[in-house]
Amino acid sequence: MKRFVVALVLLAACSQKKPIVVGSKNFTESVILGEMVAQKLESAGCKVDRRLNMGGTFVCDSAMTSGALDTYVEYSGTALEAILKQPKADVAAAYTKRGLHWGPALGFNNTFAMIVRRDDASRSGLRSISDLGKVAAQFQPGFGYEFVERPDGWNGLLHAYGLAFAKAPKTMDLGLTYKALASNEVDLIAGNSTDGLIESLGLVALDDDRHYFPRYDAAVVSRNDIDRKCGGASHALESLRGMLDDAAMRRVNFEVDGKKRDVADVAREALSGHAAGAGATKAR
Amino acid sequence: MTADIIRITGEHMLIVAIAVGVAIVLGIPLGIYCTRNPRAGRVALRVIDAIQTIPSLALFGFLIPVPFIGGIGMRTAIVALILYSLLPIVRNTFVGIQGVDPIVRDAGVALGLTSRQLLFDVELPLAMPSIVAGIRIATVIGIGVATIAAAVGGGGLGTFIFRGVAMVDTRLILAGALPAAALALIADVVLSAVERRVIKG
Repeated sequence: MKRFVVALVLLAACSQKKPIVVGSKNFTESVILGEMVAQKLESAGCKVDRRLNMGGTFVCDSAMTSGALDTYVEYSGTALEAILKQPKADVAAAYTKRGLHWGPALGFNNTFAMIVRRDDASRSGLRSISDLGKVAAQFQPGFGYEFVERPDGWNGLLHAYGLAFAKAPKTMDLGLTYKALASNEVDLIAGNSTDGLIESLGLVALDDDRHYFPRYDAAVVSRNDIDRKCGGASHALESLRGMLDDAAMRRVNFEVDGKKRDVADVAREALSGHAAGAGATKAR
Repeated sequence: MTADIIRITGEHMLIVAIAVGVAIVLGIPLGIYCTRNPRAGRVALRVIDAIQTIPSLALFGFLIPVPFIGGIGMRTAIVALILYSLLPIVRNTFVGIQGVDPIVRDAGVALGLTSRQLLFDVELPLAMPSIVAGIRIATVIGIGVATIAAAVGGGGLGTFIFRGVAMVDTRLILAGALPAAALALIADVVLSAVERRVIKG
């Protein structure tokens, strides 16, 4: 009996173990990656609390440093430019200094992409960001608040390319920019180069011919004490290294954005190695 | 910065004033219609309830491609805010008129009032406190909800809030949130004075 009580108490103590809080930013890819991280941790036997769709970079980062969040997927370029504000630093070393762990790179580079409609691109001969000079007088840009506010966003781009647009950008929620572009409300938006919607809405991502945007290699950031919450957590995260290349990420994004499939299902397929095609037919 | 806050607060008030104004013009007749045609009225009230449950970003998503009322900018924000403001106004008009004592209504009928006279001389005056309360609720809530206008390029105090959230700049967030709170309080005080006056008749 006594042994039974002890076991019960131990069991209670174990189940009271705090869950690992997994976050993500508020766009499809980040949510999918957050879900993948969460599922990976769960399959390693960890208890997970999902806080996906949390808001922008700064919200996620301050939640990490305050301890409200244990892990999320961040991009190297964002970390260097926007969080650390040291574009030349070594990101892993800089994170160690902040008491965080810059973990395994997932394998793709999701840099910013300046996106236009395909018909505009072919009519005005737009292939690279430099070509935007031809349409700067009439194009209406439209961006999320972060891209307008960030020093490595719109203003930096105008400066780097020596562009001057006649119209000030319209600012809106990031999630509405594709819809605004597709509805001819704006003519130029800033998206991510792995966005599935680029293909599905008939849009074109312009080539960053002056290499203005830094690399945005996705990596799992975690707090150093993550293994104390769940042994094997960091090992599970490590197994995500090199899981997705650019094309795979775009396909995974399209499964959710284009085909409107459930994030958890798509994440599960991506983890099991058949991201697109095969999984979709099986679902039918 | 102060000039910006004043200008954007003005923008915010404009959005709310237009939206609540239009919601009053549409909502009171709709509320009256609901009392006259109970079956259609029930459907209308359900639809208005359902609108309330649509998240604003989803509503914007629907509205952006719609010609005339959609797009990116203040117009779309106002349309959304009108839709959200309908519920308290229509509902309170409906409830206010329904709540008129049947004896009073019968007395009016006995006096030979036409249904038009009955509405304007008996039912609406008696329902007025409830209607004004609805307008008050719509306005106070509208001042808060109008901060989402910034999500669709519509301006208003949400602009500060969205920029502040994007940059984790608390001062910027407060520059949007505090004037909005002050506006809501002022509107509440003013409209509750109107409400008291209406009740005294």
